[in-house]
Amino acid sequence: MAMASPSCSVRILTGVWRDRSGRFSRKVRRIPHCFSSSASTASSTEVSRISRISKNAGDAGEDSALASGRDVRGLRLKKVEEMRGLGIEPYAYSWNRTHKATQLQEKYADLPAGGVADSDEDRVSVAGRIFARRAFGKLAFLGIRDDSASIQLYCDKAKLESFTQLKSTVDIGDIVGATGTLKRTEKGELSVYVDNLVILTKSILPLPEKWHGLTDIEKRYRQRYLDMIMNPEVAGVFRARAKVVSVIRRFVEDLGFLEIETPILQGAAGGADARPFITHHNSLERDLFLRIATELHLKRMLVGGFERVYELGRIFRNEGISTRHNPEFTSIEIYQAYADYNDMMALAEELVTKCAEAIFGNAKLLYQGTDISLERPWKRASMQSLVQEATGIDFSAFGSDLSAAKSAALSALSPRKDESLQTVIANCATVGNVLNEVHSYFLRLRRFVNVMMSVAQVFEAVVEKTLIQPTFVTNHPVEVSPLAKAHRSFPGLVERFELYICGRELANAFSELTDPIEQRARFEAQIRAHNKQLEEAAAAARDRGESAVKQHKNDSYEVTLDEDFLTALEYGMPPTAGMGIGIDRLVMLLTDSPSIRDVIAFPVLKSQQ
Amino acid sequence: MEELDPTQYYNNRLASLASLPTSPYSQMFRVSMTFDHYREKFKGLSNGERLAETTVSLAGRVMSKRASGSKLVFYSLESAEGTIQAVSDARSLVGGNFAAVHANIKRGDVVGVSGNPGMSNRGELSIFVKEIILLAPCLYMLPKGGKNRDEQATWRPGKPRNPNAYVLKEQETRYRLRFLDIIVNPEVKFVLETAHSAVNYIRSFLDQRGFREVETAILNSKAGGAAARPFNTHHDASEMDMSLRIAPELQLKQLLVAGYNGVYEVDKQFRNEGMDLTHNPEFTTCEFYSAYSDYHDLMTMTEELLSGLVKKITGGYTVSYHSNGYDSPPVEIDFTPPFRRIEMVNGLEDTMGIELPKDLASEEANEFLKKTCEARGVYCAPPLTTSRLLDKLVGHYLEETCVNPAFIIDHPLIMSPLAKQHRSKPGLTERFELFVNKHELVNAYTELNNPVEQRDRFVQQLKDRQGGDDEAMVLDEDFVKAMEYGLPPCAGWGMGIDRLVMLLTDSLNIKEVLLCPAMKPPEAVPPPNEKGTPQA
Repeated sequence: MAMASPSCSVRILTGVWRDRSGRFSRKVRRIPHCFSSSASTASSTEVSRISRISKNAGDAGEDSALASGRDVRGLRLKKVEEMRGLGIEPYAYSWNRTHKATQLQEKYADLPAGGVADSDEDRVSVAGRIFARRAFGKLAFLGIRDDSASIQLYCDKAKLESFTQLKSTVDIGDIVGATGTLKRTEKGELSVYVDNLVILTKSILPLPEKWHGLTDIEKRYRQRYLDMIMNPEVAGVFRARAKVVSVIRRFVEDLGFLEIETPILQGAAGGADARPFITHHNSLERDLFLRIATELHLKRMLVGGFERVYELGRIFRNEGISTRHNPEFTSIEIYQAYADYNDMMALAEELVTKCAEAIFGNAKLLYQGTDISLERPWKRASMQSLVQEATGIDFSAFGSDLSAAKSAALSALSPRKDESLQTVIANCATVGNVLNEVHSYFLRLRRFVNVMMSVAQVFEAVVEKTLIQPTFVTNHPVEVSPLAKAHRSFPGLVERFELYICGRELANAFSELTDPIEQRARFEAQIRAHNKQLEEAAAAARDRGESAVKQHKNDSYEVTLDEDFLTALEYGMPPTAGMGIGIDRLVMLLTDSPSIRDVIAFPVLKSQQ
Repeated sequence: MEELDPTQYYNNRLASLASLPTSPYSQMFRVSMTFDHYREKFKGLSNGERLAETTVSLAGRVMSKRASGSKLVFYSLESAEGTIQAVSDARSLVGGNFAAVHANIKRGDVVGVSGNPGMSNRGELSIFVKEIILLAPCLYMLPKGGKNRDEQATWRPGKPRNPNAYVLKEQETRYRLRFLDIIVNPEVKFVLETAHSAVNYIRSFLDQRGFREVETAILNSKAGGAAARPFNTHHDASEMDMSLRIAPELQLKQLLVAGYNGVYEVDKQFRNEGMDLTHNPEFTTCEFYSAYSDYHDLMTMTEELLSGLVKKITGGYTVSYHSNGYDSPPVEIDFTPPFRRIEMVNGLEDTMGIELPKDLASEEANEFLKKTCEARGVYCAPPLTTSRLLDKLVGHYLEETCVNPAFIIDHPLIMSPLAKQHRSKPGLTERFELFVNKHELVNAYTELNNPVEQRDRFVQQLKDRQGGDDEAMVLDEDFVKAMEYGLPPCAGWGMGIDRLVMLLTDSLNIKEVLLCPAMKPPEAVPPPNEKGTPQA
């Protein structure tokens, strides 16, 4: 798997690394046991010619070509004991850092090659993990990295009293603190000219020689910290993620939206049709469900009198793991009274563009080799018109003639020889369901375009280009939108849109249904349809000879009616529009990440055998 | 009176709405400004003045309706930003028969009005109605009366309040139908807003200091980082048992190993425990970790954060809190920094007039504490581990003295499996807990970052588990392995957000500050009647 492309990661670095100005508390701390040094002047003769790259065992006490990880661990544990024997604590209590690496890079940008800055004001203190180490007799160069950037430590035996001893204890991977003045080497590398160097944390396990990111993806996710240490661009992805979340929060807060924390553990999981996680509360002696959406609770707040609310948080669905699905994911849901789905389209455009600008500085991006322009306005097309473009079928002409809709859909799709799709269409209960299945079929097709090149040719020519660039697919059939308001002009459709970018659904929004009587009828229809599906699946399983118990365990979950939500609607909810945006998918798009697991720090992984 | 029967009221309302020519649920209504904006713009009008050339649209819920003769109706409209009066007279109303239009609008309905801004003769800013549209009817009678709405609407965080005086006070109904609670008890809205302001303050405090917000996993294959019973669940597709996190600590520290210098997370934790006035199975915490800092730094940060937050939200450093119930006068809690510091061991010895054994990990120390607890009448539920016995004594003798914020510091090592041993006091750790109103609000320490010692500590916890303490921490190999790659010196901090909000909003029950607290399985909650009492 390819990681972020070089051009993208460069953009991330400049977009995200540069804006950091945060500093940590700076008051004087007790400096732990350290290799002290009189800041004696360095003799210029000591900066002698580099004789050889010293990489022998005497330096580090380990030869990584020979020693396996476990052996190194033993050697390093021995070093820990040796340090303690010398009265040096290998796990320090704190370190008084004055600067991060980027702050020094910026402050001393004008220091010329070969120049030094060694006045009292130039005394600095840095800290970070050693990622590179070269020793040349009386000189040693350590590359350290903090969370802003990296900087070189210039260690000169003449200036650093503990030089010899450090040479035998310091390893790549150790976290060190250093104080000194500034110096730019002849080669132009800004360095801290060290007079005091302390091992703050002795690493016991060696960093991998090569990080097997390309071959062992599981390991990258399982040891995310190593992934970040070894691949700075991975850390960049998560910096971008933090930035996106913070930009979104600020954006909606500035518009007067109030964040509400709705419960994750619920007596019934509503607001979407998805299989929930089930848990049990011991003292209540009650099964609880993890929320599958925040919608029904946020809408209650509109009834309560809040006019603009949102929640940015975790959603849980007990479904398979894939490059697009993690059982827990982050979404933002936004509800605004006295607004409709047109307002949400404008909000979506602005929100996504703001995030892109925060990361890239402009409204263009590259995702997996495709240029995406976020220039507004974005294309708006009804689901019917998109399908008509792709298949020639005008679904609005069928009215409620289900058999005509089915035969038209089946004949249009017949060259595609997809039996399961044909079954699905044959089982559709309404014209709206048929339309929806044909539409989602084309979207699925787009994702598998490589393996289905022949069948996809027609599709590619017509639909693909319309859904790669940002596209609002609008006006869905009412049957697949149980919480959306009927369209004011088109019977059988609702005021809804889904936002697609790169063939992926990024946002889902509608003018909210506020009529409690109709809402109850929609829920009941949804439950009937769900139960019918279950029965059919169970019957099919019986035909295959599987036991009903197994079937139940694997495929069934209950869809229940949320009576409290209906009661809330009966108290009156103002006309409202709502929108949900998948944060992980947005971050994938903005960081050119092919898998959702690239943007979730601790994705769910199968248990390790 | 006919209208006092809720079922009949509901049925009558449905029937009358069904007879309307169009749906009573309006497609869309666009407001031209918010109530705040309206007040700001037109507050300068003089009594009796009316801007006939200006038309604005406002919307809100009808909280009262009063007719004066047959040609004049007054509505009090409420939105998230308070109340504005709408005045409708027969001459100004366009579209429809005056009596018929108003007959359709009942107390509780959401309506949209357009009309002219004006000031009533009595000096009340109003909108003089040209058009009034039913946007969403309320099919129930709203409870009436109770504590003065104006008084509730002017309540501010830090000031005492009294939910016992609410028009709707029955807790089951209030918490389950929280939207109704907010409609009829305006203070509740401010309580939720206070939670939001507190979280926003904390976020910006940490953002300004260079911390990054991250999201760690809620679903994990095992639950670590604290001593608590987790919620278990099952991921069907991978046929894997999982637990909901009880603390984000172990993953946040892995991110420091990864190279972050400062991280935080404000989000939910889950503990499968009983519920009481301060415990809900899901609750919100803020945890942050700061590389190269120690617990002294974090005590200073805690003082800055909390005193600054209380000042920002309440306007001063003190909050009023009904520690002894709403029937007794409130106490004043003073957040003026610096906060008092109590060394745990010395504090206990001084307060109790005893000398604790030097080696608290020893069998003798355990015997000594058992005897002491027994002699002093301090009850500790088994298993009687030294850690639990000490905790009981601290609760009884030290925490009880902490009404104003106070740090209890330097806990014995056996009580703190993730904290670093004290740099100069053997057997103790560099840890503090902040107590306010006798309850723990913050827990923080210089983090243990020596993997060899961390493994030993987990092994000790394992022994406690085998000894019957099922809340002892489990060994997390992945976490110890991450530490072997080098965790920088750091200090970590956790605070319960819900408890903080309780203090700021004079809430004696954690359910007061949660949108939807965990409840017993629902026996359908019927909407309350007009007096706010549940229906039979």
